[in-house]
Amino acid sequence: MTPRSLLLVHPVTWTIWLGTTLLTVSLTRNPLYLLLLLFGLTLVAETERPTGRATPLDPIFFAVIAVSFGALFNAATIRYGDTVLVALPASWWLIGGPITLEAVVFGMINGLVLSALVAGFGAFGTAMPISALISLVPRAFYPLAVVMSVAVTYVPLTIRLAGQVREAQQLRGHQVRVWRDGLPLLLPLLIGGLERALQLAEAMAARGFAADPPSNQVRMMLVGGLAALFAGLLLQFAWGQVVAASLTLLIGTGLILWALRESGQQAPRTRYRVYRRGIRDMMVLLGAGLTLIAVLAPWPGRASLAYTPYPTLQMPIFEPLLALALMGLLMPVAVRLGDHYLP
Amino acid sequence: MIEFAQLSYRYPDQPQVCLDQVSLALPAGSFTLVIGPSGSGKSTLLRCLNGLVPHFSGGEVAGSVRIAAYDPIALGPRVMSRHVGMVFQSPEAQFVLERVEDEIAFALEHAAVPREQLRIRVEEVLDLLDLAPLRDRLLTTLSGGERQRVAIAATLALQPEVLVLDEPTSQLDPQSADDVLQALVRLNHDLGLTIVLAEHRSERVLPMVDLVVALDRAGRVVSGHPREILANSPLCPPLITVARAAGWQPLPLSVKEARPFATRQGLAQQDAIAVGKTGEAGRASATGPTRQQRPYLEIRSLEAGYGTTPVLRNLDLTIAAGEITLLMGRNGIGKSTLLKCMIGLLRPRRGEIRIAGHSIAGRDVAAISRELACLPQEPESMLFADTVADELRTTLRNHRLPVNEALIDELLAQLGLSERRERYPRDLSIGERQRVALGAISITRPGGLLLDEPTRGLDYEAKAMLGGLLRQWSREGTAIIVVSHDVEFVAEIADRVLILGQGGLIADGPPWNVLGNSPLFAPQIARIFPGRGWLTASDALQGLQRG
Repeated sequence: MTPRSLLLVHPVTWTIWLGTTLLTVSLTRNPLYLLLLLFGLTLVAETERPTGRATPLDPIFFAVIAVSFGALFNAATIRYGDTVLVALPASWWLIGGPITLEAVVFGMINGLVLSALVAGFGAFGTAMPISALISLVPRAFYPLAVVMSVAVTYVPLTIRLAGQVREAQQLRGHQVRVWRDGLPLLLPLLIGGLERALQLAEAMAARGFAADPPSNQVRMMLVGGLAALFAGLLLQFAWGQVVAASLTLLIGTGLILWALRESGQQAPRTRYRVYRRGIRDMMVLLGAGLTLIAVLAPWPGRASLAYTPYPTLQMPIFEPLLALALMGLLMPVAVRLGDHYLP
Repeated sequence: MIEFAQLSYRYPDQPQVCLDQVSLALPAGSFTLVIGPSGSGKSTLLRCLNGLVPHFSGGEVAGSVRIAAYDPIALGPRVMSRHVGMVFQSPEAQFVLERVEDEIAFALEHAAVPREQLRIRVEEVLDLLDLAPLRDRLLTTLSGGERQRVAIAATLALQPEVLVLDEPTSQLDPQSADDVLQALVRLNHDLGLTIVLAEHRSERVLPMVDLVVALDRAGRVVSGHPREILANSPLCPPLITVARAAGWQPLPLSVKEARPFATRQGLAQQDAIAVGKTGEAGRASATGPTRQQRPYLEIRSLEAGYGTTPVLRNLDLTIAAGEITLLMGRNGIGKSTLLKCMIGLLRPRRGEIRIAGHSIAGRDVAAISRELACLPQEPESMLFADTVADELRTTLRNHRLPVNEALIDELLAQLGLSERRERYPRDLSIGERQRVALGAISITRPGGLLLDEPTRGLDYEAKAMLGGLLRQWSREGTAIIVVSHDVEFVAEIADRVLILGQGGLIADGPPWNVLGNSPLFAPQIARIFPGRGWLTASDALQGLQRG
């Protein structure tokens, strides 16, 4: 019997979902599909967000900023496109010349792509508890995973500490006028952060988290592996011995991987939560699979993924079947909302 | 169970020893309180129990420590974590994950506890500490007391034989602190867990403990039954001060134990109005300025909140110059919101705030804080300069005021920091750091002072020093507003007490009226002598002399 988890689908399923999302977003430049994906991914993040947790970065707000910035940047730097909105004097450094509607739209599409990627990562981060992320990490990298989880836990603490410092300095009349005025904000934040890090290190040591010293065998394998890698690089680039270099690099990589595996074996861990795959995973994987087929398989609708506003702005093609397939990425929403009805 | 034999310890690069030939024995299943002034080595003593000292801190050790059959100095914290669990002051600084259940299971996973036992252990500690309803919650959404209980649960999951806690309630409000202490009593009584607890506010722990270990500044230790130790200890709550002066034997450790003595002396049941005047008169002579003075701070029809949630509604308040006003109320009720509005950090939705007759609307925080200085809950957030004197100079420069060294010297003398003038502020004790921050905000000679929870982490001596300083400034005409949960401190220094309830003020008056009969906020002395108008040890001692 395993403890109940708030995570409805297996961490590996979530990881596959993220991979599909990132691939889909990076394969399309059609603003209509990108908008659809942005809103869909925002919805996934919102339904997965645990009660009481603030949204670290609102994807829609981020999109407004990214799209505006993308449009401005592209308009000011790209001189290509047929529809001239305004022509700035050519003598103006960097921004001089015609500002085209096509450049504006291209910049907006860039902003949309970035926003959809951020929304995808945001939804994944919201859904996956840190403990589930750690469970995905191979045992050899466990200490590194713990360090990462501590870093993630420290983000909201550091943000709060930064707010406290800012307010405290305001209360003694501090105002930022020149760059040097940033020191009263930075130093207490830095020192406070170090003090907290020491406190955490002490608390972790008291709970038995002291690092296991690697055995001599592991150390030897690591040193040998690194030496072989170095020798392989020398053989490749200094003496041009391609075959010998490849063999040495292979041996070095093998030794390092073996050392990591041994070190993982020497530090046994157990897992509290055992995630099992079920009907919910099947649904999410089917949804992601549908999206993947739609964006990768050679069928006529796939052509609508591509879009460029150059040289003359045209309306992007909207293929309803493809849009429907993209909605496969929204399956986590269906799983969450329909959880009561699923076995 | 725990035995120290001639243990001495010196931190690296320190000339003096921190612990000097400590010898003591604590039996299995005992609940021990460790007391001592700030910097006396309480935390160091506790850290010797699990090997953090010297393994984490370095330094020189002589003598020995034994926990049952284990030697923490030889074995170190990694091995000792299975036998000694440790909980620290700040719960936030101990967490690795983000959810209650995962955090508790994390140490067990790391210790490779078999999976079938993992679940049982997590469920057990969740039940033991009443955390089962919170198991899925994010740690950031819990109250301070709940978070500290999670920290205790995460420690207990490893099933240590000894639980060590270093001031676990110092950052909590009274209700949360009480929840944590009650949980400890349950663990001690029901499981027979050996508990060693360091705590500044001994008044709330003394009735629960079997033994007291008292440290002095030279690192020497005495231990024994609470009555034995407190009979001579300078660090004692008001109840003990009165009991010792009145010669009550055996020395009462709780209000319940003290009441029969008061009844026997015929002092507990007297006419409330007649004796109430005694307390009032006694306190009025000590307090000086009254509310009849000119108004310094005026708040009219204040409405404030965050987002769509209103916190304060239609609040009216006038604070006079030279008055010490204490603001109390449960956590999250809006005390800090009110303070933020006063200082300009939060813009009110409606209403007006006037300082010395001038509205603060449209003025920035820096300009307001020159007139009405504010000490935040975390004074460390202010300190960054190389020396104590530089901290004060920085504030003067911030306000574009001339750096007047005579003024700095005078203020440092008032704060008792003259000898620390060239020291690095963050190397000082908690009480001293707080006084440096107080100096940094008050060097502009403001007409008013706001202090948010200034007694957190302070020992009795540091609190008395702070109280004396505030009283001196109030006599000089400074209006002082203090937000505090510390009822004993409030009883000592307040001219007026405000209690904030849902949306606004629910009580406003002199301390003997507001605190005297309050079941929640009454200090120890008011509970022992109900209806007499006595709030502090000195009130009671004066009254007993008269009576």
